[in-house]
Amino acid sequence: MKKGKVVLGVFLGIVVAVGLYFVNQYWIAPATTSAAKASGEFPQAPAFSLTSLSGDKVNLQDYRGKVVLLDFWATWCGPCRIEIPGFVELQKKYGSQGFAIIGVSMDDGPAPVRRFYQDFHMNYPVAMGTDQLGELYGGILGLPTSFLIGRDGRIYAKHVGLTDDSVFESEIKELLAASPSHEVTDFRPAGYTASGNIQVSTPAEVNSVIPGVDVAKLNPAQVKEFENVLAQEKCTCGCGFTVLKCRQVDPSCQVSLEAARTAYTNFLKTHGG
Amino acid sequence: MPGPIWGGKDLIMRPLAASLLVLLAASAVRAGGPPAVVSARIVLAAKDVHPGTTVRITVAARIDSGYHINDRKPSLDYLIPTKVVFDDSPSLKVERVSYPRGKLTKFVFLDSPISVYEGEIRLTALLKVSPSLKPGAYPLRGKFEYQACNDHACLPPTSVPLAAVVRVVAPPASLPPAHSAVFREK
Repeated sequence: MKKGKVVLGVFLGIVVAVGLYFVNQYWIAPATTSAAKASGEFPQAPAFSLTSLSGDKVNLQDYRGKVVLLDFWATWCGPCRIEIPGFVELQKKYGSQGFAIIGVSMDDGPAPVRRFYQDFHMNYPVAMGTDQLGELYGGILGLPTSFLIGRDGRIYAKHVGLTDDSVFESEIKELLAASPSHEVTDFRPAGYTASGNIQVSTPAEVNSVIPGVDVAKLNPAQVKEFENVLAQEKCTCGCGFTVLKCRQVDPSCQVSLEAARTAYTNFLKTHGG
Repeated sequence: MPGPIWGGKDLIMRPLAASLLVLLAASAVRAGGPPAVVSARIVLAAKDVHPGTTVRITVAARIDSGYHINDRKPSLDYLIPTKVVFDDSPSLKVERVSYPRGKLTKFVFLDSPISVYEGEIRLTALLKVSPSLKPGAYPLRGKFEYQACNDHACLPPTSVPLAAVVRVVAPPASLPPAHSAVFREK
């Protein structure tokens, strides 16, 4: 009987400990992320120009001063489809207040996207995406992936996977209230943000011989030398390649990207860059 | 506007599922894109084959825990079906590919259950060996095409390569069965 009470006590202890872990991780943690970040912590959204399904140009630059929800999605993606009606409502509700949505379809071709656009009465521009655009935004590994861009052109939130529209609405309202000339350093994400540290790339980085690292500061001999440095370092993402090979084979790999960028910073220090 | 999708437990499950996606994406073997959440191989019912005969083959696929891929005949027209294709070869022809029945499963992003594959699945087919094929080792190649999702996000359509070596021997040689455990199971 006494042994049974001990076992029950241990079990309850484990339950409480696990419960406290999750409470700390997911209820308390967002409060800590709401603490003001250092200026420049939120990256500028990479510029792009696409053509919408209706033939209009979609330049992110033209949206400066607005809060933009950039949604990478596909018609074959169930979680993406269920988000769309909520986006249509958000566009209706906040469009007049300086909010805009840009849909980027990762479908192979526009035909199913056009049908979907009609069927779901989409009220914001949708353009066909490219791998390069995905790489500019840090690599799109899963869909839907949505970026919330502030009036100042910075990315404040990145949501990977199905996200409740109340999360978007709360974040949109917060960003609409902000000034276009100031970074919202105390931005409070309303929901789980997949990446606390949002990675983006410049076109020079995407088109570089080492994808993700702009080696323009190096001469050809130094580029070779830097490639050798990356060819000596094993990538820890599980690919079994070196960092160099992983960068070349899979530019969307965040692990090799971070390793290559760190190595580049160190390389510049020792080579007077 | 539709009501909230995430209830109480989703407050915990949602970040966990998204983290799982990110972790898998970071840890899976990469080949130019999305994480590989499916592995697949060809299993032959016999170690050796005679020219002009037919041998049973199985494609055994394993889908990572937490993920599903669509049925060969998806429940909804916009879903991308799972498909096995073999390279054209005049000497080795794969016929009558038979897919398992999917499992009806309900997901948070759909109103009704859909038929999907999860865990381990086996497809069966017949390999016809040309009568003119000389003894030797011949490659059999194909690919297992799929599009995977978990409860909250989807990965782009992709495929895993399939490869096996078919050993053709002259008729007097005996043909010992292989992988009998795989072929005994229904």
